[in-house]
Amino acid sequence: MALIVLAGCGRDISSGELQGVVVDPPQEKGSFVLTNTDGEQYDFVAETEGKLTLLYFGYLNCPDICPVHLAQIAEVFDQVPEIARDAEVVFVSVDPGRDSLSEIRDFLDRFDTRFVGLTGTDDELVAAQKAVEVPVATLAGEGDDYTVDHAGWVIAYGPDGRNHAIYPFGVRQSQWSNDLPILAAMDGGG
Amino acid sequence: MKPALLVALLLVSMTGCGNDGEAVTVTDARIGETAGPNAAIYLTAASGGGPDRLLGASTDAAASAELHETVHNADGTMGMRPLQGLELPAGGELVLEPGGHHIMLVDVTALEAGDTVEVVLVWEMAGEMMVEATVVKAADAAG
Repeated sequence: MALIVLAGCGRDISSGELQGVVVDPPQEKGSFVLTNTDGEQYDFVAETEGKLTLLYFGYLNCPDICPVHLAQIAEVFDQVPEIARDAEVVFVSVDPGRDSLSEIRDFLDRFDTRFVGLTGTDDELVAAQKAVEVPVATLAGEGDDYTVDHAGWVIAYGPDGRNHAIYPFGVRQSQWSNDLPILAAMDGGG
Repeated sequence: MKPALLVALLLVSMTGCGNDGEAVTVTDARIGETAGPNAAIYLTAASGGGPDRLLGASTDAAASAELHETVHNADGTMGMRPLQGLELPAGGELVLEPGGHHIMLVDVTALEAGDTVEVVLVWEMAGEMMVEATVVKAADAAG
């Protein structure tokens, strides 16, 4: 018995530890419905059920942190195609006043054509952000040159539907490489 | 376009002649590949002498260029704020990097990794300076 327990421990240790900011205890997935870039209703919980899911709220005029997050994920996905195939990356534009569905699609296609793009009305977006417990994005500045203050981190859910870690801006690509296989294996057992 | 470029080059030369040595040197100027309408320039500027202040920038590759800082709010959100200038301390460095300061290119032309973009930086003391920024993959913009 002791040997079996030890063997079990060894396997767990070798599977590595998450290098993102671990959410402990893991949080259940919040429920929201927005519109995808095909103009169809997208039920977040239903569409991502059983999938490794990365959720990020941003906007297209963002030149600094949004593209870096998405580009990092896209590059790591190229390294682990077997994980990427079953994963869902969901980008929510919190700037519906400027970002049209087709523009969101074009933006995401520069990173990975599989990335899902969503947006909605102001009320729907507020509800979505509250549902997943990120601070609600607000506009700063005046006129057409306004910017958007938004949550700067990526929320990662395992296939078990729970949020195990978040990835603030500044996360390194090596951390994503380390963490994606671990997150993908979180199918309810841990 | 060409005359503006020439003028900028002349100004760089004149600045060089007017000062003893290079007052400001800029290295690692880079731009993340474009995806949306805007892009960010990052760079490191070093002062070889007294203090200076980056007042602005321009390039033919964008409708306008703005100095920005990325702010981290108490509620955890991040955002951008325009700045009138960025200080380069005497003998020190001014580092523009993701999550910190950047020059935002507004309505930028599509840029692919490997492209180069000529950018004119405007300094309070050193005047105008032409630098060549290299377009890098967005994931590599952090350096």
